[in-house]
Amino acid sequence: MNSLTTYLFIAAALFVIGVFGLLQRRSLIGMLIAIELMLNGASVNFMAFNRFLAPDPIIGQVYTLFIMGFAAAETIIALSIIIAVFRRIHSINIEQARNLRG
Amino acid sequence: MTPLQNFFDPGILGQAAFAVVVSFTFAGALIAVLPRNILYSVLGLILCLTGVGGIFLYLGSPFIALMELLIYVGAICISIVFAIMLSYPLHLSLPKRKLPKVAGAFSVALLVFGVLITIIFRTPWQPAAVRSTDWSVNTLGAYLLTRYDLAFEVISIVLLVAILGAILISSISGRRSS
Amino acid sequence: MTVNLAWTQDPNLLAAALSALTPFAAFALIMLFARPHARLSAGISIAAVGVSLAGAVFLLVRNWSLPAPIQITGRWLISGDIIIPFGFLLDPLSLLMLTIVATISCLVQVYSLGYMAGDPGFSRYFGFQSLFAWAMLTLTISPTMIQLYIFWELVGLASYFLIGFWYEKFSASEAGKKAFVMTRLGDIAFFLGLLVVLIHFGNLNILDMNGPQATERLSPVLLTVSALLIFGGVMGKSAQFPLLTWLPDAMEGPTPVSALLHSATMVAAGVYMFARIFPFFSHSANAMTVCLSIGTITMLLSSTMAMVTRDIKQVWAYSTISQLGFMVMGLAAGGYAAGVFHLTTHAGFKALLFLCSGVFIHHYETNDMFVIGRHGGRGLLIPMVCMSLAAAALSGLPPFSGFFSKEAIMGVLAGQHNPIWLAAGLLGAFLTAYYSFRLIFIILRPNPTERVHAETPGGHGNGHHAAGLYWVMAWPLIILAAVTLVLGFFQDPLEAFLARLQTVSGSHGAGHHAWLPIAAVSLALAGTGLAWLEFGRKGAAQMGFVERIPALRALFANRWYLDHVYRRFLDYVIYGTFSNLFTRNDRRVIDGAIDGMCRATIGSGRLLSFVQSGMLQYNLMVMFAALALVALGFYLLG
Repeated sequence: MNSLTTYLFIAAALFVIGVFGLLQRRSLIGMLIAIELMLNGASVNFMAFNRFLAPDPIIGQVYTLFIMGFAAAETIIALSIIIAVFRRIHSINIEQARNLRG
Repeated sequence: MTPLQNFFDPGILGQAAFAVVVSFTFAGALIAVLPRNILYSVLGLILCLTGVGGIFLYLGSPFIALMELLIYVGAICISIVFAIMLSYPLHLSLPKRKLPKVAGAFSVALLVFGVLITIIFRTPWQPAAVRSTDWSVNTLGAYLLTRYDLAFEVISIVLLVAILGAILISSISGRRSS
Repeated sequence: MTVNLAWTQDPNLLAAALSALTPFAAFALIMLFARPHARLSAGISIAAVGVSLAGAVFLLVRNWSLPAPIQITGRWLISGDIIIPFGFLLDPLSLLMLTIVATISCLVQVYSLGYMAGDPGFSRYFGFQSLFAWAMLTLTISPTMIQLYIFWELVGLASYFLIGFWYEKFSASEAGKKAFVMTRLGDIAFFLGLLVVLIHFGNLNILDMNGPQATERLSPVLLTVSALLIFGGVMGKSAQFPLLTWLPDAMEGPTPVSALLHSATMVAAGVYMFARIFPFFSHSANAMTVCLSIGTITMLLSSTMAMVTRDIKQVWAYSTISQLGFMVMGLAAGGYAAGVFHLTTHAGFKALLFLCSGVFIHHYETNDMFVIGRHGGRGLLIPMVCMSLAAAALSGLPPFSGFFSKEAIMGVLAGQHNPIWLAAGLLGAFLTAYYSFRLIFIILRPNPTERVHAETPGGHGNGHHAAGLYWVMAWPLIILAAVTLVLGFFQDPLEAFLARLQTVSGSHGAGHHAWLPIAAVSLALAGTGLAWLEFGRKGAAQMGFVERIPALRALFANRWYLDHVYRRFLDYVIYGTFSNLFTRNDRRVIDGAIDGMCRATIGSGRLLSFVQSGMLQYNLMVMFAALALVALGFYLLG
């Protein structure tokens, strides 16, 4: 149970659930939640490699810390964009934002 | 050993606890993507991220686990909840799901999963020849402030810029829409 | 024998070049500069053709006793082994024809001063007359068949311009078109024949074609085929059966044009060409027989058509066709000198007939012979006398020129094995006399009770012309009448002149039958008598024996329904089938293909635009799927 492939599997599953949510949710915030899931899956993946394969296990943790920091920054900006979009089209349904329809 | 003692054998207990954490994670993930009510999703996300923190614990880094709880659950999810409160008209009814879209999303997700699994299980993962055994927080802190100092500072600047940008976007769009 | 000298120093070349090219200079001058000045244009044109006439007479007199043909050529087309030069060929036949064409052109142009006076297109008329003169003169002295063909086509072009001269009249422009298209049909066969000769023989030089190498290099089958194809050109240009219906319609043009082109010179170009390569033709007996039969059919058919028509010009038009057929008969039977002599005399009296008719038409403003007669046509003395003279010559009555030339051809026909040709010739003589004198008597002795039906539209200009113009028209008539009177007695010198350089001597009607002239003259007199009986005598009914049979009359008047056949052919085969096919192909296939491509492009564009749905998540789906597949690809391959 405590092998690399288990954790990689968990990470892949988290990532894929995030993909599913991203492609299927109708509201922007729902997509944002799915993106958080994807980021977490990637973090777990990094930490797994760090635990089992990396020569210096500190590096992986530093990297994961930075991923979390960037996720936070990205969430801030995404939320502000969502608020801006909402003020424009008065809904957070992504299917309403079809200006690029050709 | 009695069956009860067998049950409380550290090996089995450990595995059972691991299974519980993993199930929290998956359950939370599914709750985050499936329901139509956004608040359910956020709560599911919180559950999932808590589980991921547990997994980080199993991966040997309590510091990262705590950071996960602090940053993701404590900050990001709460701000998502705020955004929901500020924007989402919860009193309106939710439109129906569209089957083709769901089917398309499911199939693409399945495809990506298949590819990932193929790669995971077919690669011969080789650990590095020489592995250091220093996992402690002290070393992590020392690295952050010496070797990865630049990255540390850059992260701070990124966060600052993100906050400023968010304020700017909100104020401009606020002026425009009003 | 080929003589290449610096060109201004050789008097032959200078005279030939001047004769041929001054009318072209006149044409260019008139059309470019002198259009607004009518009298200047006429002056330029007549001066040019006068120069041509002087040059032609000079050449004829100078080279009367020529030891060998003079050929003066320059390099033109060279392709591998095939060399086609351009230049002049001076030998007895071409010099004789040159003189004939120049003389008649000059006389007709002088006559036109009077006939076309007051016409708004006066300058244009003289411009086209010069064009025709240039083309016809150069045609006669061409050394190669290609040059002859080029100027043949140019003559056809000038004919088209002149027939449709009064182009505001729909029938005139239609007639011009009909003439051009019908002769073009014959010219297709002509060109194919030339190609056959070029491919197998190597060059199209007339002297070479008439030489002995023709039989060496071309097989008998090829000789027959090329001869028949080239005869197609003769059929078109000289209005032989079945391409003969354009000539009566060509009478829509002014009468001087009919006199010049469609009696004396242009239509004679076909016969001239036959005579030109007579040795080449005579190698193939089958082709000569075919030509002989076509000539006979033509002669008899058009004689019948002439017997029932009311239009004065149409009679002479049918007569021209008939006499051309007679000439073709003579040549095809082997009578080279006889055929060419008849060509010469016919040019004289047929032009005279047309010019006289022109005076009547100009004066009475109608083409209908009955109306002319009723209005006192016999009062115009000079035209009446000249026309009677010319009609007598046409009928073959002695001592006019026609008698001698017709006798020559009859003699040749008598030399044939099959008596049918001679019988046809004699019948033709009878009919010719009949229809010529029918016209003469109708004008001489008009029937006062003759009702005037719808007048055949004709006539031209105003009948009130000054006395000066009258004499301008009268002098050419007098000159031509004098020629008609005396030319017959020049038969022997002319035949000797022509025969001198002939390598293949045609049959002179060996065994000259003594009874032949008597038979021919008596038949001509019988025809004249019949005409007098029906039309000329006092109290005559003025209805011909043919006209009493309505079915026959309809047959002859409708030109043996040839025009109806052509119209049917055009409507059903050309317009109905081919035009229809091509129109449908154009509309459905070609347009349809292009429209289809447009529609396909638009349709596929519309289809593809569904991709741009503006939905972010569909784009993301595609992105993730592509990413996964690419990753898999890289993993498996690398």
